[in-house]
Amino acid sequence: MGIAIPIKREEENMIQIVRQALAAALVTVFCAAPATVVEASEADAKREERWQQIADYLFDDREVLPTDTLIRIEAPKRAQDAALVPITLTMPEKDKIKSVYLVIDDNPAPLAAHVTFGPAADPGTLHLRVRIDTYTNVHAVAETKDGKLFSTVAFVKASGGCSAPSGPSDAEAMKGMGDMRMKFAKDIQQEKPSEATLMIRHPNFNGMQMNQLTRLYTPPRYIDKVTVSYGDQDVLNIVGDISLSTNPALGFGFIPRGEGPMKVVASDTKGGRWEQTFDVPSITQ
Amino acid sequence: MSGLIGYLVKPAASLAIALFFAATVIHASSAEVKEPDGMWTGPMRGETPATLKGAVVVGLPALEALIAEKPILLDVGPADKKPEDFPQDRLWLPTHRSIPGAVWFPGGGAAAFDAAQEEAFFRRLEELTQGDRSKPVVTFCRPQCWGSWNAGKRLVMKGYTGVHWFPDGIDRWQEAHEAVEVEPDKVWNSATMK
Repeated sequence: MGIAIPIKREEENMIQIVRQALAAALVTVFCAAPATVVEASEADAKREERWQQIADYLFDDREVLPTDTLIRIEAPKRAQDAALVPITLTMPEKDKIKSVYLVIDDNPAPLAAHVTFGPAADPGTLHLRVRIDTYTNVHAVAETKDGKLFSTVAFVKASGGCSAPSGPSDAEAMKGMGDMRMKFAKDIQQEKPSEATLMIRHPNFNGMQMNQLTRLYTPPRYIDKVTVSYGDQDVLNIVGDISLSTNPALGFGFIPRGEGPMKVVASDTKGGRWEQTFDVPSITQ
Repeated sequence: MSGLIGYLVKPAASLAIALFFAATVIHASSAEVKEPDGMWTGPMRGETPATLKGAVVVGLPALEALIAEKPILLDVGPADKKPEDFPQDRLWLPTHRSIPGAVWFPGGGAAAFDAAQEEAFFRRLEELTQGDRSKPVVTFCRPQCWGSWNAGKRLVMKGYTGVHWFPDGIDRWQEAHEAVEVEPDKVWNSATMK
C-alpha cells in the first residue's frame, strides 16, 4: 500500500476505493464468524488436557503411548441412539494383548469398561455398547502382556445417553433381569478363533436417570463384573461401569477347544448374581 | 433396532435378538405439541412446541447472526447427577459443554422455583442484561428439552422482550462449532444448593 511515487488524482481515488473495499473485506472475514467461536486447536488442546487428567487417574504414572497398530477403535461418527452406541475394538497383534480399557472422555464416569483376556480368549476383536453423554473423544487403551499401555482415539457425536431412561418404566426395564443369551458363530473349528455374542438382560440403571413423572432419580444398579469361562479356562473378565448400555451386550472371540460349556457369571452393584452355562455348538476337527 | 444390533450378530439371529431387546425401544409421538398457557409442568424431556409466544424461535443461522449483538446465552441444561453410593475409588469427573460465553443455570428451566431460586434467577438476569429488558437473551439446553422453553416463557412473562429460544440447543451448535466446558453460575448455584 505504501506507494511513494506521485500519481494522478483519479488513480489516487481508485486506490482509495480499493483500500476501502479491502478493509471491508477484512472486516467481513473477521466478523462473519461469531465472536464466541473457539479456535479448533484450542478446543483440541482442552480435550487433550482432560484425557491426560483421566489417564493420570487411571494409570498413575504409567506412560500411555499413541498407537496405530496395537488397538483400533470403530465407532459411529454420529450415533443414532446415544444410550446405545456400538463400539468395536480391534487388536491386530492380538497375541500381545493382555487387557483393554474403554474410556469415554466426557462422560462423568469416564471409564466404561476394563476387559482382561484369559487363555481361552481370542483378543482380536471386542464389541460393546455404551452410553455417551456429549460429543466426546473415546479412547481405547491396550495393555500389552509386557505391561505397556497404548491408546487410540475416535470422536463420537452423541448426546444425552447417560440420562436417557432404561425403558418405558423402571419395572419394565427390570423384567427378566439377569437372563442371558449367547449366540455362537456357525462352523466352529477346533483351535480356530471363533466369535460369540453375550447379551445380559439388565436395566443397568446408572443413577443419572430421572423418572419423568416422580422427578426422582432411579437408584443406580448396574452390572459391574462379568466373567466368561470355557472349560476350566477364562475367556474374559469384565469390570463394567455406568457407561455400559441397558441390556449389556458383548461380542468377543474365543478359541474352540471342545472342553466343556461356556459359563458366564455376572454380578451387579446391588448384590445380584447370575450364572448361566451355554453349550458351544459342535466343533469340527 | 436390528440395525443397531446387526453389527454384533449374523443377520439370521438379528430378529430374535431384536425381540429380546424390544422393551428398550421407546416410540416418540409425532403429534404436534401445543404451547401450554403458563410454564410446562409435565415431563421435562419430550417433544416441544414449534413456538413460544412473545419470544423468537431461532435456528443455528439466526443464532450465529444474533451473536454479533452479544446476547445473554442462557444454558439451562441439567447438571449430571452423581449416582448415589458411587464408589469413592472411581473417577467422577462431570463436565458440561456449552456455547462459548454462555451462562449456565443447571436446572434453570424447572416449572416451579422456590423463593430463593426465583429471586436468584431474576436478579442474575437483571444483572446480565444490565436492567435492559429488551436485550437479546437466548435460552437453550439439549433438543427435546422443556427446560429451555420454560426459561424463555418465564422471562417473557416477566416482561423481557428480547427473548430467543434455541430449541435445537447445544447439539446443533456442536455440529458447526466447538463447545466449551462451563461452570455453573455461582449466584444461581448457591440459591439452588440451599
